[in-house]
Amino acid sequence: MERAQAIRVQRPSRWDQPLDASMSDADVAWLRTRGPFNTMNASSFPSATPLEGILRYDCRLHRAEPGEVIVREGDYGSSAYLVVSGSVRVLVDSLMPEQLGRQPPVPIGWLQAARRYLRRSRHAETRSPDQVRVQTSASGPPVIRKVDDRQAVFLQDFDAILLSHETVCLGPGELFGEVAAMYRAPRSATVIAETEAMLVEIRWQGLRILRRDRRFSETLDDHYRRHWLPIHLREVPLLRFLPEENLRRVVESTELRSFGRMAWNIDYQKQRTLPAAKQIETEPVVAHEGHLPTELLILRSGFGRVSVQHGASHRTTAYLGKGHFFGLDEILFNAFRAPAAPARPYQSSLRAVGFLDALAIPVESFAEDVLPWIRKEELPSSVQALFPQAIERRSNRRRRRSAKRDAHADRTVQPSPVWPTGEAESTNESTALLEFIVQQRLNNGRDAMVIDLHRCTRCDDCVTACSGVHDGNPRFVRQGPIHDRLQFVQACMHCTDPVCMIGCPTGAIARDPDTGTVLIHDPICIGCGLCAAACPYDTIRMAEVVDGKGRPYVDESATAPIRKATKCDQCASLPSGSACVAACPHEALVRIDLSEPEPLKQWLQKRS
Amino acid sequence: MATIRLPLKTRRWVGLTVTVFAVTVIAAITSTLSDRLGSPSLFTGWTLFSCLILLMLLGVRRRLPFWPLGSVSTWTQVHLHLGLFTAAVYLLHAPAIIGGGKLESTLSIVFLLVTVSGFYGWFISRTFPAQLTAVPGEPRFDRMNWHRSQLASTASELANGLPDTSGDQVLKSFYHESLAAFFSQAPSLGWVLAPGRTRCDRLLGDLKSMERYLPADRRETVEQLAALIRRRHDLDRQFSMQWKLRSWVVIHSCLSLALLLAAVVHVAIALRFSH
Repeated sequence: MERAQAIRVQRPSRWDQPLDASMSDADVAWLRTRGPFNTMNASSFPSATPLEGILRYDCRLHRAEPGEVIVREGDYGSSAYLVVSGSVRVLVDSLMPEQLGRQPPVPIGWLQAARRYLRRSRHAETRSPDQVRVQTSASGPPVIRKVDDRQAVFLQDFDAILLSHETVCLGPGELFGEVAAMYRAPRSATVIAETEAMLVEIRWQGLRILRRDRRFSETLDDHYRRHWLPIHLREVPLLRFLPEENLRRVVESTELRSFGRMAWNIDYQKQRTLPAAKQIETEPVVAHEGHLPTELLILRSGFGRVSVQHGASHRTTAYLGKGHFFGLDEILFNAFRAPAAPARPYQSSLRAVGFLDALAIPVESFAEDVLPWIRKEELPSSVQALFPQAIERRSNRRRRRSAKRDAHADRTVQPSPVWPTGEAESTNESTALLEFIVQQRLNNGRDAMVIDLHRCTRCDDCVTACSGVHDGNPRFVRQGPIHDRLQFVQACMHCTDPVCMIGCPTGAIARDPDTGTVLIHDPICIGCGLCAAACPYDTIRMAEVVDGKGRPYVDESATAPIRKATKCDQCASLPSGSACVAACPHEALVRIDLSEPEPLKQWLQKRS
Repeated sequence: MATIRLPLKTRRWVGLTVTVFAVTVIAAITSTLSDRLGSPSLFTGWTLFSCLILLMLLGVRRRLPFWPLGSVSTWTQVHLHLGLFTAAVYLLHAPAIIGGGKLESTLSIVFLLVTVSGFYGWFISRTFPAQLTAVPGEPRFDRMNWHRSQLASTASELANGLPDTSGDQVLKSFYHESLAAFFSQAPSLGWVLAPGRTRCDRLLGDLKSMERYLPADRRETVEQLAALIRRRHDLDRQFSMQWKLRSWVVIHSCLSLALLLAAVVHVAIALRFSH
């Protein structure tokens, strides 16, 4: 290539897009006088990412007024908050959704459903005044008010809430929200400013680099190990019978591993177009096929691709999500193998698709503290084959002895699939489908809309029904990526990793704790469009809303149109459930959980 | 409410078995009534009329998406097998395939038209989806015109962007004489009803034969135009199949309404003069 034809551009740098462009040198200098930044050793940070740079580009100052909701329980976020001055209250118990301005879907009856259908508006995106903004009342829903240059949600009658709820006070130097930011978990509590407080919001990229400071890192790790890791390990079905003492030892030995880029949705559009082989190459390797397993990996969040070497490239055999294991078969085989038999290495590789956070339990700890407490019936069939008689004897004995205890345990522990990784698929057809799903990140979908194009007559009855039950506004369009006979429709998938929920300034987009459906709460949606921009699948649309007579709602100060985010709500309040599925005359459309390969496989089998 | 989801093949066999059994029962009752000098046509007539009303309920269900009345696919299955059953009962009821008298013959013809359109719909809704999937692209019916105009403007830009050399003039005039109309016009009703490759192949052949008159560096433009012709042909095939899939529903529904009206008149007259 001729050097003369080269085009000179400025190389993109780590901090091209600061969290807050208005952060000044004075702000940074002031922060350096406050804990924990005043005790941090600046020399422990690399020259490319100095401490001052992190404070300037990955942080922002956040002034909160009394009663302001800083984070809401159940929300997803990519930032942690450090209290610099003032105090905040962490609510130990949950607030009612209405107190946060959310209106949980109220199931309506047949008559009301019919009335709503018959009184559909002639205009698109009609809203009543109470859907456009929060109606203020003495002790009811919150109000949205401007603080500095941003919209903030305030609780009504905050003092009464403090009296009636158990709270924990956090003061200067204390950090909150770091677990949600670092491990892509929903916020575990609502935090409200008690007095006027100054907070530093630190985005997760900065938080990760700040961990280079030994004391800060130890504080974070210690906090996570003490408060969260036991909870996260207890959530793993395989560890549900572990005694406290064993769990404590497992907690001590478990390592936390992170791979890939948490903001995967930013380069998703580019990644999805890469050929499968190229995409696999770019994914960080978590475990190599052929290496001896030294630790059991439990996925905390994110996605993993399981692949085996096939010729010059890798073939996808499964994908993993939250709660899935990697390396269990091999570790168990090695634990139970005959002394003369060779150890079994990893049979496949694990790669991070986008990002992947895993808990790694060393094999020694697993063999000593976990294995004796796993029910043999729950072992994979490949391992059970090593000692069938022993298992039969133990199983019969245990079944007789502990039927009552089992019943109790089964009631208290969710019997989620213990072996969700699935058997290695070897046909080209199934591999292609798995690779397509991973490539398009459709495995993020908990309720994806899939159409069997060999049955679909393109009648659009699904869209018509959706439109009919949403006041004449369809919440999806029948288009989307196609693989073979399957179309994955561009409708909200109510994702496992709901990136749309990250950054919503008022918590208007939230997951229903009962159904898992991601809903938009119109009254507190300020129309900023962050969710629509973040959704990698383009399933959220911003709509300018009008009243029943077609008159547009406009902002009273700026006269700009009022916009609301709209998307599929799974017909949450209707007695019929999802109208699109019920309306398909040829059973071509299904809402299906793609976070596991099994449901789709079963659905396809029924149609063959 | 828990729903039982049978594999599609099993469901089909269960439906057919139940239909055959029901037809056998009706035939047995009709035969018994006939043997005992009863009124088998009154019995089969009422059965037919009830079936017609039940068949019409599918359309009602489709218009009530907000009520939990079971999935439309279940209703469609019932509709299909009930339609088969109704056709069989018609044969037991009518003295001839087309009855005598003005009203009866009209009723018979409308009934047969509804039945035939129903079978046609059944056939195309089972065969067309796979064919539609095999045709490249997945355009929505409401966007067909937009796709058409996009292809037309791309072809126009390609042709009109050619320089004015004598070789290029050949291609330009071919575009204006033959291709411009192909791209700008919607396919004719005749083509939509019976689509074929003749026109597309002829245009591609003409374009190919034109290559020898063109400069060597114009081959790429010819290939681009050929690709546009193929895309337009695929779009028209999609349009043809989707149009048929939509049109038969409209025709079947209109004929069904006419049948119901005629059946009501027939029932009234039959009851009036049956005693």
